[in-house]
Amino acid sequence: MKTISLAKLLLLAITGTVVSGTNADPITFTDQRDRIVTLDSEAARVVTIPIPAASMFMSVDGGTEKLVGMHPLSKTAIKDQILETFYPDAMSIPSDIAGPGFNFSPNVEALLSLEPDLVFQWGHLNDDIIDPLLNAGLNVALIKIGQEAFTRRWLTMMGAVTGNEEKAAKMISWRDEVQAEIKAETDKIPAAEKPRVLYFMNYLSKLRVAGGKSYNNFYINLAGGQNAASELGMFAEVGPEQVIAWDPEVILLNGFEKKLSPKDVYDNPLFADLSAVKNRRVYKMPLGGYRWDPPNQESPLTWLWLSMVLHPERFDWDLPRRMDENYKTMYGQGVSADNVKKILRFSMNKDAANYEIFSPDKQ
Amino acid sequence: MQQTLVAGVRESRWRPALFIVLVIVLVLSALLSLAIGRFAVPVSHVAGILASALLPMEPWWTPVEARVVELIRIPRVLMAGLAGAGLAVAGSALQGIFRNPLVGPQIIGVSSGAAFGGALAILLSESRYLLIGLAFACGMLAMVIVYSISRQQGRASILMLVLAGIVTSAFFSALVSVTKFVADPDDKLPAIVFWLMGSFASASYEKVWLIAVPVIIGSAVIYLMRFQINVLSLGDEEAHALGVKVERTRWIALTAIALISSAVVAAAGVIGWVGLVIPHFARMLTGPDHKVLIPAAMLIGASYLIHVDNVARTAIAAEIPVGIITALIGAPIFGLLLRRTANKGWTSE
Repeated sequence: MKTISLAKLLLLAITGTVVSGTNADPITFTDQRDRIVTLDSEAARVVTIPIPAASMFMSVDGGTEKLVGMHPLSKTAIKDQILETFYPDAMSIPSDIAGPGFNFSPNVEALLSLEPDLVFQWGHLNDDIIDPLLNAGLNVALIKIGQEAFTRRWLTMMGAVTGNEEKAAKMISWRDEVQAEIKAETDKIPAAEKPRVLYFMNYLSKLRVAGGKSYNNFYINLAGGQNAASELGMFAEVGPEQVIAWDPEVILLNGFEKKLSPKDVYDNPLFADLSAVKNRRVYKMPLGGYRWDPPNQESPLTWLWLSMVLHPERFDWDLPRRMDENYKTMYGQGVSADNVKKILRFSMNKDAANYEIFSPDKQ
Repeated sequence: MQQTLVAGVRESRWRPALFIVLVIVLVLSALLSLAIGRFAVPVSHVAGILASALLPMEPWWTPVEARVVELIRIPRVLMAGLAGAGLAVAGSALQGIFRNPLVGPQIIGVSSGAAFGGALAILLSESRYLLIGLAFACGMLAMVIVYSISRQQGRASILMLVLAGIVTSAFFSALVSVTKFVADPDDKLPAIVFWLMGSFASASYEKVWLIAVPVIIGSAVIYLMRFQINVLSLGDEEAHALGVKVERTRWIALTAIALISSAVVAAAGVIGWVGLVIPHFARMLTGPDHKVLIPAAMLIGASYLIHVDNVARTAIAAEIPVGIITALIGAPIFGLLLRRTANKGWTSE
């Protein structure tokens, strides 16, 4: 079944995109390491090892039935959050296939016992986490993280292998639309009115910020800000003095450090003179179907949220409504006002400047 | 041996001058360090901020500038200076009692023991006091293990000590990996990883005290033992003959060394090469007499690490880990020093 028709190969070579047929036809696509992956038919049993891939897969397939295994840390990102409310079954999906911690080496025997049709694995780390899967004869799709284009390819691949091409295409065009919608407005903003934004990837143990090559840099620019740390590459440790020298006007706190809240920044005597602190513009990044700071299926909501955080006087998107609509599209269920408040972290952010604009009960 | 001691005595009339120079260098290094940084503070403002601590005066600087100098730069310079001084003293004493120029706190297992203690403390709680406590406890534990492995028929040979140190280091490094393996990747794991990398970026007065007390106590103990260490550096047989209780003296010194090293590890992570290179450099200036060598190494070590940290915090916007710079400078210099001091300055047998 590994043979691929010449026409498909040709199309593949030209477009580099996914080609697939109906249910019974083999599905062929190139993964993000430019390997050609062929499935006999649509995948009914899929395992995701990359942490954000599990929730993205659920959003593309609109459920958990086809996800038979995931990374233990994918599960901790779902537990107690909105996705557990939507899909309580997610908590019983096996997660002993890799880990613990940031360990992506597959437990091949546990994986084989799940009889997966396809395994998603990281392609940008070392090949030692890939070879055992290939040696076991499993179908593997390799994915990379970091750029908006990469994330769109995940959606395309996941749509293709589950027969959800249309939905995946819809999720991608949603990204295009929202990106264009915001860009049209933020392009008009003069550079001098774009606030300096600093994203802390780590704050509690060390100060680590997102530089000019990070995904965070992409959406800070899109939302009408400028990255205070754009001179750095991806993520780098900086001293408190450097933070003071940059004097960010808005500070974004990562969603990974569970205990980190804007209060930690407000109460830090070193940072008392920062514009962001004086104007109370320190925000904890929301957490919906996944953390909003790295690229994920809900990124357009991140961009909308951030554009309002940066320019409350210019933007007036109805975020709770958009969340509700798109959650219905992606997960088949909408969100209540309480859900919205939890996702947008009202408990931590409610005292921040202008945060009431996000309130679902303002009408 | 005879020759070098003679050389040391001959140089003794230059000693006051040498120490005056070293103290001036240290003071100037610290002042320079307070005046530079990523946030521009004019020198006159820095001077005013420092002077205002002693004399009441009308500020001509901004509150931000005062905060940068008082809350960020001063604790950072103090920490770097104390760490450099402590590591250099610990290294000098280790090299003396082991009569081996290749010995440093890392080689005899204290650093990896302390690293494990610290990692374990981060895993268990967020208390800095627990961190330094466990770092010291495990640093000492590593040393006791080294002692038990190497001790045969009531005494420990130098070779066995060093070998036992290597074995113990490997074991504690594995334990550090275990803590990383089981740590919660959302918050505990990055905390452990960053702490192990070492940096003065999170300097604070609280951390200055954490490092100052053990470094000062440990260094004082070592300085009080300077004559015994001199005798030990002659060799065990000679030391016995001169009436020194070799084992007891060695282990008191080792405890002081463990105290200093684990405090530095707890406050700033594992910083290599300082305890190895600075004593050699100091020995070239003073000769092998620990009475002179220990204070000289202390002053040089403090100035050295202050300058290394200047580079770490000002060269680029990102913090460069201090351990990387000390290794890049230390390893080649150590190679050169080894060649130059191969036949002089060290007690030849």
